[in-house]
Amino acid sequence: MATPKKLSFDALVLGGGIAGLEAALNLAEQDFSVVVVEQDASIGGKMIRLSKVFPTLDCSSCITTPKMAAAAHHPQITILTYCELQTLKRQNGGLVAGIVQKPRYVDAEKCIGCRQCEYQCPVLVPDAEQGGLAARKAAYIPFSNAIPQTALIDTANCILCGRCAKICPTQAVDYFEQPGEFTLTAGAAVIATGFEMIPLKDKVQYGQGQIPNVITALQMERLLAPHGPYNRVLRPYDGMEPDNIAFIQCAGSRDQSLGLGYCSRVCCMYAVKEAMLLSGALPLADITVYYMDIRAFGKGYEQFYQTAQAMGVNFVKGKVAYLDPGENGAVKVRYESQDAAGGVQVAEHDLVVLSLGLVPAWDPQGRCVLSTAGDKFIKTVKPKTSPTLTDLEGVFVAGAAAGPKDIVDSIVEAGAAAMEASRYLTSVSSKQ
Amino acid sequence: MAKKKKPEPKTEPTTGGKVGVYVCHCGGNISDAVDVEQVCAQARKIPGVVVARDNMFMCSDPGQEMIIEDLKSGLVDRVVVASCSPSLHETTFRSALARAGANPYVYEQANLREQVSWVHHGPAATSKASRLVAAAAAKAGQLKPLAPLRVEVQPRAAVIGGGVAGLKSALELAQRGQEVILLEKSPFLGGQVAQLDRLAPLGETAARIIGELAAAVLQHPAIKVYTCVQVEGFEGYIGNFKLKVIRRPPGGGEYAAQLSTLSQSGQGLGEFVPFVGLMPASIPETQEDIHLEAGVIILATGMRPYGPRTGEYGYQKFPQVVTLPEFIRLLAAAPPGDTLALEGRPIRGAALIHCVGSRQIPGVHEENEGGYLNEYCSRTCCGASLYAANLLRENYPQTRIFDFYRDIRTYGRGQEELYTQAAHNQAVFFRFEAGEEPQVLENPDPQGPPLLVRVQDVLTFGEEIEVPVDLVVLAVGQEPNPVADLVEKMKIPVAADRFLQEVHPKLRPVEVAVAGIFLAGACQAPFDVGETCAAAGAAAVKAAAILSRGYVELDPFVAEVDLSKCQGAGACVEACLADGALTMVELEVGGQKVKRAQVNPVLCIGCGACVAVCPENAINVQGWTLKQFESMVDMVVSDEYLEGA
Repeated sequence: MATPKKLSFDALVLGGGIAGLEAALNLAEQDFSVVVVEQDASIGGKMIRLSKVFPTLDCSSCITTPKMAAAAHHPQITILTYCELQTLKRQNGGLVAGIVQKPRYVDAEKCIGCRQCEYQCPVLVPDAEQGGLAARKAAYIPFSNAIPQTALIDTANCILCGRCAKICPTQAVDYFEQPGEFTLTAGAAVIATGFEMIPLKDKVQYGQGQIPNVITALQMERLLAPHGPYNRVLRPYDGMEPDNIAFIQCAGSRDQSLGLGYCSRVCCMYAVKEAMLLSGALPLADITVYYMDIRAFGKGYEQFYQTAQAMGVNFVKGKVAYLDPGENGAVKVRYESQDAAGGVQVAEHDLVVLSLGLVPAWDPQGRCVLSTAGDKFIKTVKPKTSPTLTDLEGVFVAGAAAGPKDIVDSIVEAGAAAMEASRYLTSVSSKQ
Repeated sequence: MAKKKKPEPKTEPTTGGKVGVYVCHCGGNISDAVDVEQVCAQARKIPGVVVARDNMFMCSDPGQEMIIEDLKSGLVDRVVVASCSPSLHETTFRSALARAGANPYVYEQANLREQVSWVHHGPAATSKASRLVAAAAAKAGQLKPLAPLRVEVQPRAAVIGGGVAGLKSALELAQRGQEVILLEKSPFLGGQVAQLDRLAPLGETAARIIGELAAAVLQHPAIKVYTCVQVEGFEGYIGNFKLKVIRRPPGGGEYAAQLSTLSQSGQGLGEFVPFVGLMPASIPETQEDIHLEAGVIILATGMRPYGPRTGEYGYQKFPQVVTLPEFIRLLAAAPPGDTLALEGRPIRGAALIHCVGSRQIPGVHEENEGGYLNEYCSRTCCGASLYAANLLRENYPQTRIFDFYRDIRTYGRGQEELYTQAAHNQAVFFRFEAGEEPQVLENPDPQGPPLLVRVQDVLTFGEEIEVPVDLVVLAVGQEPNPVADLVEKMKIPVAADRFLQEVHPKLRPVEVAVAGIFLAGACQAPFDVGETCAAAGAAAVKAAAILSRGYVELDPFVAEVDLSKCQGAGACVEACLADGALTMVELEVGGQKVKRAQVNPVLCIGCGACVAVCPENAINVQGWTLKQFESMVDMVVSDEYLEGA
């Protein structure tokens, strides 16, 4: 593994999702040198996996890919993908980061992204990028818009048949590649490690992922996306076109039974958006959203919600108690109705989408002395006047790393974190 | 900036360059309605087009690389991307050209999304797409390399508004090493936040927040603060804005109430006074004109609480109906006790009504006095209401709270806890549907509390409930401060909700259509204090990039005089819409002194008014010449390249 040529930067950005890229671009535009450390094999984060985004219904790629390209080509930005941050500490008035480059088993310097290895590989594995609904190879480029366009080999599934090594025109495949360790120094850091959705298996009442045709909202994003697994909306269990789809809100948010008392802030809007896109994709389908409160609080969001209602999306107030398998792949939804009749009711739907809540994707414990709050997201110490300030000097936080946040709010916060970081870098350099 | 290497052939039209056409599927946005392959096939037949390719996302890195490779290999020297509106990605593709070492201005974008696939379907869509591509290719063949205009930047930011957004952005920029002018209309710093007490959800005081920010601003040598000022004149462009501001004593008893509170408080200049703000300097005795220059402007003009109509939920009809900001102030002055007492009147039960002046629906709600509806959610009122409810229940345990809501939107960090806490505190919740708002009535029972709130409660399956109360608190929403004057002068777009409009909520969330002007805080949309400070930081970071670089590059789409044709008629100067952009100058041509038109490129707005009136066709807008338009029109009306792809 090749060590990066440059090891010292003005700023380190941890996470190459939309918040991290925006923070990096804002720092680089002021001529600060920036390194973006990303754990996945491509930058782009969660946003690149989405179909369209609320409230403008822009295609998500149209917003994300230009920012990815802008960051990747910026002369002041270095991007390190497939890297884990091991340690981050203050030393000699600056920050020192211990990084591990995970082995791709493909030499990134030699790989030209031709995908010959991918075409030759005989192994098919569920593709996490497609919500597990389609397959990828064991030698692969993560997705078509990935940056960098560098292949990697998934050794957990590789059968060592040697076909990729044989076909590779640049002899880039290296089955013996070892993890590489190196140290970066930076004056300031922005933590933009984002979120994960709560695991399906955590919610016993909703079947722990065992009920057919209960999918996650991110899987629905893939079904609606242009590069999706089926190129149309089909239910995964039997390929049927669903006529009757339900969204279950607050699946793992505002839920003390899971210890997740907080509101995940984005699920109402993404469900409304997916419901709207579904009524475009399947104009005859009935769409129901089971909710506790619809939280359409951002600019243009309430109007978006009103539009969905006008389009015929059925909003039913009530927390869903249980899901059970029904006949022919249907799903039974048990909820308390707030209609005049009231009482517990059971409805059947062809496909059920869980609007899962968000949990932090990264835990600083054991890696750096950054504190987290009760919700396990990074703690901010001055939430009102300096919302991106953490309790570690020179380290700022942006986006969903500091609590669930939509794209608009994450981008604005990334700007704020970049401002705080550049202000900090200015004050440090003027003292020296 | 890279220059194009190949000389442009002087002669005629579409065969001029080697045009590459790149058609984007936009992930189905375009290709669902337009046959992209057919558009490519037809493009290949257009004279001058040497290659036509398609890609799922042209704006992605692999898409851009495709263009770059064709440019680098010399296959093409003109680029047409047929994708979305240029407002979205023109700069993206221009920079791709620059990365390939080409001139970024030999680029043309055909809009197949907003102008075709989103509005047409079927064969007509593909046919229109092909015509637009043909027109763009024809124009591209005639494009000339241009050099951007480089403009020096006045090393200074002007921040308009002295509330929390203005204070925060001024402070960030100053600490980043930039000079800042902070302009505030009133005599006070602190804006609307100064009108509050403790802030949801964590209870920081307005006094501390404003006190800290304002003190840091006033102490910073790089920030100059002007209060009691109004922007009267605005001109210039990014890098060189000129503001004429007038500083004068507030007239007609404006701010009289705050000034009297201030003098009663015994606090002096530079000290925070609750529900007033912080007065940094004494009020001017005379009027003074101040001329300021700035490279960038940050608008932090903020919001004001919605003022309910007379009679709306009994407001101004019953003295016991107050808005939430009014209640916060009353609560701050109330004596301790088991039961809240306001002006000596015990409050045994209080009603909180949400969404007053927010989430209004056309056809359901009555228009406000200005003839508009506030269709948006005001974002902060749920949290603020529940915070106030908790404060009340915890400090005055004998005062009961009845909360009437549509949806509880405690979305932010620490806010859901407020809701849970309110339930623990035994606040009683009622939920109403839009259009079935609670009614505030006089209580017919003379023995009971003065008011009655009647509601059809969704939580009890539509039961009609009447709640007698001593006080009704209206959780009023946020409205943008009226800044029509400023908006008019600066030509800032305003959205349908009357808040100032950003270019794009995700791509350029704090920028407006006028380059060099940024939005900070609640002038853009309802925000809480933390979100406002984040927005202020985001605006400041954009400003800092421009100020720290010291120059900006502007697109060179400005008028250009062809001196070989100009006869000095002067019609262009008369038609010019931008003061000073066109002048008549004396030149020597063939030994004779003649008058000729001359363009000041940085002032020219590229509107083309001069082009239309020139009797000699001697003036053109670069990048948009008459010849280029003619070739586009020729191709749009031509059927030659459309048939049988």
